Amino acid sequence: MECRYASYEPVTSSAASLTVEIAWPNVSRMSAVRLLAAGEAPLLARPYYGDGDPGPIVAALAHVPELLEVALPFIGAALGPSALSWRTKELVIVRVSALAGCRYCVQTHTAVALDAGLSREEILALRLSLDYREVFAGAAERAVIAWSDAVAAGHGPVSGQARDGLRAHFAEHETVELTVTAGATLMLNRLATALELPTSPGTLSRLTSEGLL
Amino acid sequence: MSAIAEAVAAGRLPGRVWMYADYHCNLACTYCLTESAPGVPRRELGHERMVEIAAEAAELGFTDLGVTGGEPFLLMSLPGTLAEMAEHLPVLVLTNGTLFTPKRLARLEPILGRRVAMQISLDRPDPDANDGMRGPENFGKVVEAIPRLVERGIRVRIATTVESIEEAELDRLCALHRDLGVPDEDHVIRPIVRRGRAVDHGLGVTARQQDLPAELTITTDGAFWSPFGPTVSAGVVDTDLLITRTTRPLGVPAGALLRLVENRPPGDDVALNIR
Repeated sequence: MECRYASYEPVTSSAASLTVEIAWPNVSRMSAVRLLAAGEAPLLARPYYGDGDPGPIVAALAHVPELLEVALPFIGAALGPSALSWRTKELVIVRVSALAGCRYCVQTHTAVALDAGLSREEILALRLSLDYREVFAGAAERAVIAWSDAVAAGHGPVSGQARDGLRAHFAEHETVELTVTAGATLMLNRLATALELPTSPGTLSRLTSEGLL
Repeated sequence: MSAIAEAVAAGRLPGRVWMYADYHCNLACTYCLTESAPGVPRRELGHERMVEIAAEAAELGFTDLGVTGGEPFLLMSLPGTLAEMAEHLPVLVLTNGTLFTPKRLARLEPILGRRVAMQISLDRPDPDANDGMRGPENFGKVVEAIPRLVERGIRVRIATTVESIEEAELDRLCALHRDLGVPDEDHVIRPIVRRGRAVDHGLGVTARQQDLPAELTITTDGAFWSPFGPTVSAGVVDTDLLITRTTRPLGVPAGALLRLVENRPPGDDVALNIR
């Protein structure tokens, strides 16, 4: 069973009212590739294993260690702490992941977004269950979400309205970074979805207790 | 001089590049690292790629080539491949030595007079003890083949792979290889490494990364730290000694290997006599 995201029209600024009821399948199946355990970690991948389980993205990418050792620093720079606030980056990551229908990324970053200070209602809006324009009052954050929608739609040019909305609140370097964050998220969305990466039991447990599974 | 050449010249990086020509074999030895046997997938590196690696290795500054498998001489084109490789660097090819019928010996003509040596496995001085690990008739075929190879001017090394061997038995084995025309300096005795099928049989010693010389090893599955790296467990290639999946150009895995070697902690010497 695939994720129950309805197919949607290419997102424009007017599609921001799109809402979809999220219902992820029960995920107990194996990933599409073996997730390499610490004892199987290739030599170049070992530094990313630390004391044990590095998470499924590393454990999958470890199959191609020369990719892992360049991808991880990039992912860390694109999605980790930077000039943009943590909260702002999670707006992009959760929104893009929801639009891409990535169960792993939505679940994992729902937990991260809670840590970054987003409310349950805000997360539900980012996850397309509520209209974000009715939940997010700030124009800057609404512009970020509209930009995320425009970038994640991925068909031709982004709308001038989305670009103008972002320009009103963000500098050029921030625009670049928001766009790279969206792009890196999309890459991981497809990786995690295609390879059926499992969400950690700890995250699933937390989302259950928060009513966000 | 390239960084690889400098490291090899300074003794910081072994000079030999290994290639797994194939993974299939006419034998199914109890301690085989790669679970090789007649029925396993062949996974051949191929003539063109092997010669290309030889040329790249020479250009990078490596000094020697090694070819192993599986049983490389199951590949009928191997002598020609070895001859072309030897135009770039000296080649040592590992073989079980059981395929050298008169017809096959005649096919070795391309390597005669070239820089190609063979390393043949011979573990015990008695047929029963030897063949118990390596399969029926192994001893007889090897003992028959070695003088035929030596008389053709091919340098033959003998590799004895054992868990342990009594001194008297070793003496008889050494007397045997001398009789066959192989001098003492071409006899290598090494422990069974507990990887591959040796694990299933509870044989050998556990070899860690730091126990194994960092000899770049190229297979169809990628580049490994050592020829003891691309072992097979339950049909799956082990990845713990994988360096990169990229093998072309050879500079990619060679550079990664050098980086790994140079990051080794000081004093982290090879602890086992594994060659």
